Amino acid sequence: MPTPAFTCPQPAPFPPAYPCPPYSLPHSSPRPHRTLSLPEEPVRYANLMYDRRVVRGNTYALHALPWVGSPDPLEIQRQREAHRKALARKRAKEQLQSRTPEPVEGRKHVDVQTELYLEELGDRIIEVDVECQTDAFLDRPPTPLFIPAKTGRDVATQIEEGELFDFDIEVKPMLEVLIGKIIEQALLEVMEEEELANLRAHQYAYEELRNAELAEVQRLEEQERRHREEKERRKNQQSQLLQKQKETSEKIAARAFAQHYLADLIPSVFSSLRESGYFYDPVERGLYYFFFFTGMQTDACSFSLSESDTTSRRLIFFFGGSGSVVPASECCSFKTSERNAPHLVPLRFWKALQILKP
Amino acid sequence: MAHARISAKLPPDIDPTKAPIAFGARALPKLNEELQSPELLTRQRALMALCDLVHDPENVYQAIKLGFLDNLKYLLLDQDSTVREKTTEVLYIMATHNVGRDGFIENGVIPALSQLLNDPVDISLNALALSVQVSFLSLPAGAVGIVESSLISSLVLKLKTELDEIQELILDTLSGCLCVEAFEALATGAVPILKEKLTHPSVAIRSKAARALLGISIPLEGKNIVWDEEVIPVLVSLLEDSDPEVRANAAGALMNATTTTQGKYAALSADAIPPLLKLVDDETSKVRLNAIKALTMLSEAPEGRKTLLNHVDLFRGQLNDSSEAVSRAAKIAIKVIEWKP
Repeated sequence: MPTPAFTCPQPAPFPPAYPCPPYSLPHSSPRPHRTLSLPEEPVRYANLMYDRRVVRGNTYALHALPWVGSPDPLEIQRQREAHRKALARKRAKEQLQSRTPEPVEGRKHVDVQTELYLEELGDRIIEVDVECQTDAFLDRPPTPLFIPAKTGRDVATQIEEGELFDFDIEVKPMLEVLIGKIIEQALLEVMEEEELANLRAHQYAYEELRNAELAEVQRLEEQERRHREEKERRKNQQSQLLQKQKETSEKIAARAFAQHYLADLIPSVFSSLRESGYFYDPVERGLYYFFFFTGMQTDACSFSLSESDTTSRRLIFFFGGSGSVVPASECCSFKTSERNAPHLVPLRFWKALQILKP
Repeated sequence: MAHARISAKLPPDIDPTKAPIAFGARALPKLNEELQSPELLTRQRALMALCDLVHDPENVYQAIKLGFLDNLKYLLLDQDSTVREKTTEVLYIMATHNVGRDGFIENGVIPALSQLLNDPVDISLNALALSVQVSFLSLPAGAVGIVESSLISSLVLKLKTELDEIQELILDTLSGCLCVEAFEALATGAVPILKEKLTHPSVAIRSKAARALLGISIPLEGKNIVWDEEVIPVLVSLLEDSDPEVRANAAGALMNATTTTQGKYAALSADAIPPLLKLVDDETSKVRLNAIKALTMLSEAPEGRKTLLNHVDLFRGQLNDSSEAVSRAAKIAIKVIEWKP
């Protein structure tokens, strides 16, 4: 059969791009002669749907138990013939099949004359390729304005003055808050200063009072001190006065007493001395001594009594010829041994003494 | 490090010199940390923010509890003058609240102040304002604190040289402390300096100096020194000053100085009685009070009593005075004048 002259390869990308990559079909495809059960592997559990042991289809049209009983010879013949036909068909098909490989995907095999002498193919259809293409850069007119058809109803609304809100009413709370805060802050600051000023004024008034009171206290203290000192001074004065008075009166009393005491003293002393014989008559004594001790003495004898009798010392005077009173420095010396024995003084001597007594 | 600020341009109403304050209870601890930062700008900004926060007494209490005062004490000695100025300002505002004052006394902030007195004007002004607050408003603890830090001698020495405003503040501080203890001031020879100030052209300084003298002449040594330095005639001349404050303080100083006998005679010889009599009718109650008291002092002396016997009616007029102290003083005065030994 004449084959076309050339193959027209359809343009195919290289490497070939599969719509999906090639993969082997899964095991579930119904190929009865491919289900080989390898002797090493165990029997696989196949899908029930594809198991050849399952009876399918109409069960009423099936051969009822075809393998049970002896098969009909007519039946066997028919089967043999069918089998032969199938084989023959198969042989024929195999003959027709060419031994060239299948075309690559996207290509088509075309018969080509490769003999020496070309034969005119008369029954070939004349094919002409014609292309057409729209002008790419032709100005496209602008799309006309699409005004959709008007549908629906027109409704209008307008917000009039004062309908949305009333500014004066709405602003009031905000304004109140703002101004309130501002005034509060201002008040706080003013109050702080005022508080300080108050404190100071308070302190000032207090200081005033305090100073006044302090001065008063000091004045009273001072007054007290002065009065006290004055009192002390006067008391001292007074006590000194009293002291002096007391002293004076004591002195006077003492003096009076002493006078009184002593007034009596002299006479009593004299009398007692005289009684005890301390006084002697110098004339008598002189005469006594004169007569007692010596006869050849000069008439100027000096006698003196012992110094122990001071009051009578005045009374002892020198017994001299004139008989005048002389001071005690020249008085008679009286031997002490004679003192103890005044009674031995002769009476005449004693009498002489008495005469000369003041 | 990520900042809380989104863009480089700040929003329009924020003060860029202040550190941003954290929310709620975290504000003060964060500022405390910032105060310790080694970077100068952070410290300054933190101080400025603190200045604002400290107006609220609750913040002051919390700050003191968190231990701000130690940091502030340290910052008082910082090298940068802005930092020192702001620190004294913060401390000044804190001292206007009593929790602040108590905290100062406990934490010993006052000795640190003494170092600041030699600084230029603003800082020492603040420091002194602070000391005024402390001494005046928290008698006696604050005054005791100042005395103990031996600030008085340096204050007295500064009186001679400083500007008027500073002098006023110094005098205020001194009069606060003198109410508590005057010996140190006397030892530094404050009386001659105060005597000079009595003739200063500024009214405020005169009145404050007179007030300081009032305080100084409370203890006995003070009185004696005042008499020694012959301040009494100057005080008598001040009795005719135009400002009632000056008059009141002068009368008060006289009142204290004439407690001693020699003071009395000095005043009498300076002819104090006529001006004092004029003052008994003055508008200000303080003037009246001090004048009456001074006259009471003077009437303790016999010569004074003689002179004042003629003017007893004046005192009787004051018996029903609006101020209770004045009427009491008038009563006492009458009693003293009419006393017979």
